[in-house]
Amino acid sequence: MTDAALSDIRILDLAGEMGVYATKLLADLGADVIRIEPPAGDPLRAVGPFFGDIAAGDRSLSFFNLNTNKRSLTLDIASPEARPLFEKLAATADIVVETFPPGYLDALGLGYAGLCALRPDIILTSVTGFGQDGPHAGWKAYDITGVAMSGMMTLAGEREDPPNRPYGNQGYIGAGIQAAAGTMMALVHRDNTGTGQHVDVSMQEALSINQETAMQTWDMTKTVRQRTGGRPLPVDIPGIGVYEASDGHIFAYLGTPGGAPWPVALEWMVSEGKAEDLVDEPNKGLIEMLHLRFLTQLTSEPEKLPERLKILAHIHEVFGRFCASMSKWKLYEEGQKRRLMVGIVSTPEDLAKNPQLAYRKWFQEVPHDHLSSTVTYAGPPYRLSETPWSIARRPPLPGEHNAEIFKELAIPEPEIARLRGLGVV
Amino acid sequence: MSAAPETIAKTTGLPLSGLKVADFSWFGAGPICGENLSSFGATVVRIESESHIDGIRIVAPFAAGKTGYNVSGFFNNFNAGKLGITININTERGHDIAMKLVAWCDVFLTNLTPRIIERWAMTYDDLRKVNPTIIAAYQPMQGLDGPHKDFMGFGAVLSPITGYNYLCGFPDRKPMGLGTNYPDYVINPGHTLVALLAALRYRKRTGKGQRIELAQLESSVAPLAPALMDFGSNGRVQTRIGNRHPQAAPHGAFRCKDLEAGTAKEDRWCTIAVFSDAEWATLVEAMGSPAWASDAKFATLDSRKAHEDELEAGISAWTAERTAEEVMALLQSKGIAAGVVQNGRDVLDNDEHLKARGYYVHLDHAEAGRTAYDGPPFRLSKTPGVLRSPAPLLGEHNEYVCKEILGMDDDEIAEALVEGALF
Repeated sequence: MTDAALSDIRILDLAGEMGVYATKLLADLGADVIRIEPPAGDPLRAVGPFFGDIAAGDRSLSFFNLNTNKRSLTLDIASPEARPLFEKLAATADIVVETFPPGYLDALGLGYAGLCALRPDIILTSVTGFGQDGPHAGWKAYDITGVAMSGMMTLAGEREDPPNRPYGNQGYIGAGIQAAAGTMMALVHRDNTGTGQHVDVSMQEALSINQETAMQTWDMTKTVRQRTGGRPLPVDIPGIGVYEASDGHIFAYLGTPGGAPWPVALEWMVSEGKAEDLVDEPNKGLIEMLHLRFLTQLTSEPEKLPERLKILAHIHEVFGRFCASMSKWKLYEEGQKRRLMVGIVSTPEDLAKNPQLAYRKWFQEVPHDHLSSTVTYAGPPYRLSETPWSIARRPPLPGEHNAEIFKELAIPEPEIARLRGLGVV
Repeated sequence: MSAAPETIAKTTGLPLSGLKVADFSWFGAGPICGENLSSFGATVVRIESESHIDGIRIVAPFAAGKTGYNVSGFFNNFNAGKLGITININTERGHDIAMKLVAWCDVFLTNLTPRIIERWAMTYDDLRKVNPTIIAAYQPMQGLDGPHKDFMGFGAVLSPITGYNYLCGFPDRKPMGLGTNYPDYVINPGHTLVALLAALRYRKRTGKGQRIELAQLESSVAPLAPALMDFGSNGRVQTRIGNRHPQAAPHGAFRCKDLEAGTAKEDRWCTIAVFSDAEWATLVEAMGSPAWASDAKFATLDSRKAHEDELEAGISAWTAERTAEEVMALLQSKGIAAGVVQNGRDVLDNDEHLKARGYYVHLDHAEAGRTAYDGPPFRLSKTPGVLRSPAPLLGEHNEYVCKEILGMDDDEIAEALVEGALF
């Protein structure tokens, strides 16, 4: 018999896009997450792409993705009329997750102190661009603002292009992951001590470690790490980087620790009849030296550099022709069978067809009764043997669980009718 | 001086005080998760081997003028607050010591490949025999089963496999990715931490441990769900769109005045994101209401999207006259989301906000000297995380771990040394 890790936990989800991945992660681990939407509906419901490319009728795939397993309650939390209802609900909650500007909930009397008065051991998780205090606490941030200010964006792209923003709100995703982890940490502490607390997640800080080594490079060597267009060195090193296949791209990182050495790739090229003159000297000799340590030697023997660069450029071209003669899937799977560090540059279609994801039944088909169809969802980020991730409930329609939640809170029918009349639920 | 092991081993009052972690991971995805556990109170023993060194101990940057295994800023930043032991698990006695750590710990963490896990007999079933309530977190590249289970990779190879390269960047450029081993730093360690903490509270409730399997493939693909769902529902293959955004205009990085650094010039950029027409009106005013910007063709989001090249050219002309910091400060003062594309120098030396919050932490390391570390990624008001010591030197705590944690006597330790097990 399996159980859910968070089945005893109730979360009020007031989060906008910056924090909603956090509540999704917790909902998919079994928490009762009540998404509180404005009476006009969550703005995320208007964000594409849409199921069947039709924007009307609650078909936002972006909303679907981030709201699995949640219940929906429409409620205007800023309305004094709705306040008693919200307070009643908050008293039953373990966790509140929100993304308002710092101070907004305090002004409503619903900040950490206000919530503690309703539920003394409550955990409030606040996700904002820059955190709850400090000179930039009140600054505005969208996803791109966070990835820029964290230091990760400067590393992406060609040197002469603008720095590249990562696809798909990676700033919000990173902040959401750290918010889920911070919330869980606070929950573990509450389990142990009975004490709740305020979890402060700054998107800028949440993403900082994505800089890889840029911060330390400045700290230790006073050098600014710049974007390099995906090339580790200013010259093309054979077998390192993006190569064109006959039907797309692959990424190779030959000669790195763990993977098979370059001569294994050469053998493969020979067996396919595509090695050209790489089996001859001086090419073959240099190929046998092509590993990471050699690359650091390259610049330390300047007298040999010009000749070596010429040979390297040639090997790079021949390897490029070899790749271009084959499909990306063949390069990936045949290369990996030889233990060569080769990755396919997957398109979304490639991911949909990925044999590994298919074997592990990763994608999830979730029935949507109102669409008379199933919708394909991304699967679990992790698999827990005793408390598995699951999509037990499709994302809610706006206010779908109002009646159910009012009943749980024992709100009398006339009061509900009155609030409905005021437009606050 | 590095902190005394007692400081690392003993904590009180933090969420994970008393939790024992055997961190058999390396590179980024595992160790970062282990460091977060330490920052919130766990005793984390990081197991390494000099016979098969953690690759990032020999990757730059290195503390100025220093060489060796102990001075990499890349490694040190992911391993603060840990006790370090070297064990050659390929030796019989080394394997015995490793299994003693398995018996000791509450949480086992590894991103080693399934082949190595099987060779070392460290599958969940193996571990459970010596520690029935263990929580064991595995981070295989592709999963513990399946046709690609033995495929290899690390972050830079995983990014293309999982779709980031194809979807990130400008459409006329090659799918080069984010310039880093992206999923190694937040996506995979962060997801692992969420799963581990969930397993921990389940164990507290039921007394049962469990196995966590985080296939880095699956964990990294999950955040790209909207593109997958768009394909699944609509058959559309999304591709790179650069810095633009379907619901915003302008939205991108705009070039500002170059920074004169000696004889060199450094290009500087500020991001600006405008989602609503009200934000656009504010931006126009902040730019001094130039004539071009007041044209009706920029008045609505749809029409700004239709004239985006011209829109971006107009804004770039304005930003080019100003420093990136001036653009940011002015626009933020009006409530526009503007942020400098900061680099390592900016975040560490110039960002007054990060300084005021004390995000980066400077620690004194026995060999690397005083260097900066990323602080905890989230802040808990009553139990703030703390980096209790710098990263361990290679094998720094061999004796401490063997004696104080595993209860080995001097003879046993001497034998282990002679046999090359503590290496």
